[in-house]
Amino acid sequence: MTVDQIPSVVDRRGSAPAAGSAASRPRTSIATRRHRAFYMFASPWIIGFALLTIAPMAYALWLSFTTFDGISPRWHYVGFGNYRELFSDAQTWKSLGRTGLFAITSVPLSIIAGLGLAVLVNRPLKARGLFRTLLYLPAVVPPVGAGIAFKQLFDQNSGAANGVLNLFGIDALGWLADPYARYVLIMTVLWTAGNIMIISLAGLQDIPREFLEAARIDGASAWRSFRSITVPLLSPVLLFQTVTGVIASVQTIMPLLLAPDPTPAGITALPQSTYLYMMHVFAEYFAFGRYGYASALLWVLFVLILVATGLIFKATSGVVFYNVDPEAKK
Amino acid sequence: MRPHAGAAVSRRRFLSLSAGGAVAGAAALSGCAMRVSSAVGGSGETVTVMAKADDFSPELIKQAQKDIGVKINTVLYSTSKLIAMMTNGNPPDLVRGVGAVDAPYYAARGVMEDLDPYFAKSSVLGPADLDPVNDLWRYDGRTQGKGPRYGMAKDFSQDSMFWYNTALFDQADVDYPPELDPVTYEEWLDKAERLTRRKNGQTTVFGGSYNGVLTPSLLASLTVAAGGNLFTDDYARVDFTTPEARKALGWYIDYCRTKVGPSIIQPDPNTWDGPTFQANRLAMSNSGYWLGGLINADKKLAPLSRLAPAPYFEGGRRVSPCQAGTGFWIPSTSHHKDAAWRVFEWFFGEAPAKARASGGWGIPTLKSLRPLMPAQEDYQKRVLTVQEAELKHYSVIAFTPYATADSLLALFNQIAPAAMNGHLSVDALAGRLNSAMNDQLKRGKEQVG
Repeated sequence: MTVDQIPSVVDRRGSAPAAGSAASRPRTSIATRRHRAFYMFASPWIIGFALLTIAPMAYALWLSFTTFDGISPRWHYVGFGNYRELFSDAQTWKSLGRTGLFAITSVPLSIIAGLGLAVLVNRPLKARGLFRTLLYLPAVVPPVGAGIAFKQLFDQNSGAANGVLNLFGIDALGWLADPYARYVLIMTVLWTAGNIMIISLAGLQDIPREFLEAARIDGASAWRSFRSITVPLLSPVLLFQTVTGVIASVQTIMPLLLAPDPTPAGITALPQSTYLYMMHVFAEYFAFGRYGYASALLWVLFVLILVATGLIFKATSGVVFYNVDPEAKK
Repeated sequence: MRPHAGAAVSRRRFLSLSAGGAVAGAAALSGCAMRVSSAVGGSGETVTVMAKADDFSPELIKQAQKDIGVKINTVLYSTSKLIAMMTNGNPPDLVRGVGAVDAPYYAARGVMEDLDPYFAKSSVLGPADLDPVNDLWRYDGRTQGKGPRYGMAKDFSQDSMFWYNTALFDQADVDYPPELDPVTYEEWLDKAERLTRRKNGQTTVFGGSYNGVLTPSLLASLTVAAGGNLFTDDYARVDFTTPEARKALGWYIDYCRTKVGPSIIQPDPNTWDGPTFQANRLAMSNSGYWLGGLINADKKLAPLSRLAPAPYFEGGRRVSPCQAGTGFWIPSTSHHKDAAWRVFEWFFGEAPAKARASGGWGIPTLKSLRPLMPAQEDYQKRVLTVQEAELKHYSVIAFTPYATADSLLALFNQIAPAAMNGHLSVDALAGRLNSAMNDQLKRGKEQVG
């Protein structure tokens, strides 16, 4: 093939090909072809998203306007009846309040714990890889396994936690009942802080060493360097962890795994302090069979998550620094 | 095993028919001839069974294929999955259910097949041979226990009876309950308190467990034992404020408050009594005869364990109900009803039923299978004597069709812990339960019509 035979860009666009073929083929720009290629490659995801996300959400939205319970013959359309009931349902507000408190407590604690661990294992230690692996290991344990282990560990009558207390002459505590159950729940979150550690570690390793060395030469203490250089440069990572942490914590089903009887009705026996919003949703769906009402609860949660995420972005817009090469923006 | 009408008999089919004939012949010659249905076919079809893993083991599925020529496809039991399958028009052909609470709920919604025509034709499950416990699966549109049959129990227990561990009674110097005469519920609780052992804030021995199969059906049973009825005559409301229901509720709250046994405020991590009883950490277990399956298999525990009649309330009625009656039903929209019935017949009346009866995990639901209940050892004979005497006190305690037992249990779980922890009086609890449960029942009645 000679150079002349290689189709030019113009040819490939189809603007001036051999006579005859121009009439038979429509003109297609590069941009159009690229768009087509993009949508072809992205189509599996787009189809999956439409079928597995958009369609169920739309179906749940429709259900939220009905009294559908899955099996009774006389279910009907109630308009905004479920949404109105939701505002007068004490369990909704209580569980929402507990969920907010849980998010406010568990998210900062887990980020601080994860960051602390990341700083530790970022230091030049012996067997650093082993420590990183061990600290990350709990995050790999399936949640169901973790739930069973925590239940056994904190059982009042046969759990190891009370065994340790007894060694020190302290009477056994009802860890899985109020008021201690909320602490066990927080512990389950902190136990998987290795997940956050890994992301923070990646962020730490992305910080240019020159900045820290310059600060040291200027006489900054380790704490000052951490506060004034590490944290600001890590702020996009911390923002990411905050947003995903809040979303995960309001959707958490961990109390279900700690429930003495993890059946639809059984979860309503959870200690009040761990009866979070998703437990209420779960109970309304599967214990009470109120698919319409539970769908309304989920739609309200969806909107609340959108609002909370927006507020987090707004509130942090002045304190999150993106270390972006200015040239790259051009 | 019957070939399809008009189907050519292939070599493989001929061999399988010959093998089937040989097996049937051998069974007949061995003197333990199995009654085999001739009324309904279904051979060669595939039946989808929604069950728990223990109900249909892989071995049992193979046996079904061999015995009746029906291929069984199992789906793990889940109410939400059942609803999804029924909604999309592809229901399972046989569904597990708890007769005591599921039968009126599903029958009232018209999703269960009326099995009376099948029972009428069956040579395996003759109506005269059906134990009265199967009446839990009857519903006449108003009351459970009457009307057409919608299912059958695979085995059963009189769930208010209790087992006790004589060694723990001896250690605590507490008198054994009488063999055939029931104790009162108050006496039972008193014994439980005396049998409980605690150390450093931990309970080392639970005096007794009394949670029933599901708390709503337990409370309904306790109220009948106290001489009343938890539900109104039309089953559309509950009333915990009647003297009888108040007595029943008060007793159960006392049981939870004294923490002599597991409850929602002191859960057992094992989630059921078996392992705790086996570990000699539970002196009395409110599990009926079926727990004998576990006890008989433990040669150390079996001689120490005894079964006692269901307690009663002073001035009430002596009743000994079944709070479960777990079995199977056929959805009215099933695509393979005849084949499902053939599996039903085989499961409830043929080889699997016989195996269950001799295992001690529950009383067989066909009277003709009762001689198979374990009675080789002295302790088994003692248990059988108590059990046989108790059968006279069986009666169906009807449950409402307007709410699932799970939904009523969920409401109880949300409201009752305050009373169990002493922060709410039983009278206030009764009022709150009435309010919450009647709202749920009202919604259910509107949905059924």
